[in-house]
Amino acid sequence: MDMSQYKALFLSESREYLRTIAEQVVALEQSPGERSAVDALFRGAHSLKGMAASMEYGDVVVVAHSMEDLMARVRDGATPFDAGVADLLLEGVDLIDVLLQDVEQERPSTLPTGDFAQRLATYAPAAPKAAPAEQAEAQGAAADAVPSPAPTGPAPSATAAEAAPPAPEAEKAKEPAGEAGGTVRVKTELLDHLINLTGELVTNKQRLLTIAGELASPALNDAISETAKLLRSLHDEVMKVRLMPFEAISDRFQRSVRSVAKKSGKEIHFELTGREIGLDRGMLEQLVDPLNHILRNAVDHGIEESGERERAGKPARGTVRLAVTRDRDRIQITVRDDGRGMEPATMIAAAIAKGILTPEEGELLSPRQALMLSCIPGFSTAKEVTDISGRGVGMDAVNAAIQKLGGTLGIESEPGVGTTITLRLPLTIAIIHALVVQVGQVKAAIPVNAVQRTVELSRRQIETMGKRQMFQLDDEAIPLLSLNRVLGLPLGRFPDGILPLFVTEARGRRVGIVVDRLLGQHELFVKQLGRPLSKLAGVAGGATLGDGEIVAILDLAGLL
Amino acid sequence: MTAERLLLFSAARQQFALNLQEVCEVMEPQQCYPFAGAPPHYLGLINFHGNLTALVDLAGYLRLPGRPVPGKILVIDTRLAHLALRVDAVGSILDATSITSFGSHEDPLVEALLETPQGSVRLLRLETLLNGLEQELQQSAPNNAKPGGT
Repeated sequence: MDMSQYKALFLSESREYLRTIAEQVVALEQSPGERSAVDALFRGAHSLKGMAASMEYGDVVVVAHSMEDLMARVRDGATPFDAGVADLLLEGVDLIDVLLQDVEQERPSTLPTGDFAQRLATYAPAAPKAAPAEQAEAQGAAADAVPSPAPTGPAPSATAAEAAPPAPEAEKAKEPAGEAGGTVRVKTELLDHLINLTGELVTNKQRLLTIAGELASPALNDAISETAKLLRSLHDEVMKVRLMPFEAISDRFQRSVRSVAKKSGKEIHFELTGREIGLDRGMLEQLVDPLNHILRNAVDHGIEESGERERAGKPARGTVRLAVTRDRDRIQITVRDDGRGMEPATMIAAAIAKGILTPEEGELLSPRQALMLSCIPGFSTAKEVTDISGRGVGMDAVNAAIQKLGGTLGIESEPGVGTTITLRLPLTIAIIHALVVQVGQVKAAIPVNAVQRTVELSRRQIETMGKRQMFQLDDEAIPLLSLNRVLGLPLGRFPDGILPLFVTEARGRRVGIVVDRLLGQHELFVKQLGRPLSKLAGVAGGATLGDGEIVAILDLAGLL
Repeated sequence: MTAERLLLFSAARQQFALNLQEVCEVMEPQQCYPFAGAPPHYLGLINFHGNLTALVDLAGYLRLPGRPVPGKILVIDTRLAHLALRVDAVGSILDATSITSFGSHEDPLVEALLETPQGSVRLLRLETLLNGLEQELQQSAPNNAKPGGT
């Protein structure tokens, strides 16, 4: 029988099972006695094996079978669920993930699965440690207890269960959603096509509005107004269809925190809330790297060693909380740690030492601005670069990625208490509100999320400080920058002495961007520019205005 | 191996060809909208069936002197790029069997120098053209923003 037609479904379902298994493993480490999670893990491995067997993917069967066997031993109480079991199961998840990629690419697998199966079959837990928490306290650190190992034996004592309530992850033991309950699987291309059509309709509505403005017909205005309402409803519904729960990417974070904690020898309690909150699927993938970096930073640099925490009167085990919430059409993601926090004065001193700021400029910075210095390229106060979070993508890249998604990044920190990083994101990146501006002969659009306010500035209000031109806004000196100059266009003249500008945040500081004219706010359907223009820095896409004119949508983070 | 059918066109008094499969439409000049930050041979953006497409003056990109003619627009297959080339004129479709000789060319952009009944033709490598355009954009990043200068 030709099974190839079922391959896409097999891959999709298998990946859902893998994600669930990885989540359950991490959740079980937090709450090892959770029977329902143990059962769900066993069933996950069993179902995966069954599906792979029916498709005749032997390698996947071997790995899933050995994971199922190990979980059966855990379920039956023959083997405790400890860090060693968790490592092996997560290794199995990675192994199957690679095997699935081979299946997808229709290439033969070269991975040796026999050795893995053998290690699972012969796994024996390390000798139990007496009272791991106390031991960790005595040592000042618990290098191998991330999170703390489970008490040996299949069932925790009543007191342990009371002391450590089940983690929300473990309570949510569940199977991947199938096609039951009135849901269907829809190809993502179809969803993209739907949003494209909706976007084109939005563009055409703008066109109709332009024509109606010229004709001054009340009947036409009414009809367009009604169409606009319907279009808004259609847009909202289509966007809902494109939403995917945050949990589609969240297992990676749990594993990432676990891995960094292990490497850095710290005890971490990781909490995740809001996993069910839906985000635009186009945005989810682009959040993985920034969030991973923030979380790794929190564990590696934010949370102190156990001994240092205890001396400060804190629990030995640090806590990192990742929370996703939705407020109407905005998504808020916060990463909060109860670590050492950041000292604004230290940040300013480091920036001055690196030549990023002059001492005079440093004095002008508010504590909030000082914390945002960490988002300037090349800025790092870490005393030593570690292989965990001190290299590669930095907070500047994180900030740029969030801004490119039309979002903002904020940092709050209290020395000794901890740091909270808040990402505020739009619900969709496909249809946005943008400020359209004229610069030279060119029109350009700036997502309103990046615009704090618009100002019409009289020349008299401009002050010169050294080589910089500034103006005062809310008792803050804000430097001025010409968008014409940034884009290499002739500078504006402003014969009436009024300079139109918008205020945005660049490199952690507010800046006034002067343009030739502010043309107003538009609802735009963002289109990707494809090859070759996708390589043009500072441009996030393009859109068509109501009169058919095309504008580039600027990515200010990439431009400034 | 050359494609079976090639589209002949001219720019800056030279004859070029592209694999016919790489071109999805030939259009008359149409309204295009300038944008900032790209080299001058980017004439602007055009709307091709809903795709925002960069219009590039081929002669300008090749640093050849342009001609003051309305010209034509070759739209590259939208599965490969969102790119249209402004050329001087579009000739015929050439069957590969009518090529009398193939020669190599030192320019990596030129896959082969073809001798045809219409004369010498440079067969362009689309992928090399796209890579070249992308590299050029990466190198022409916007001016380093300097405060002031209003």
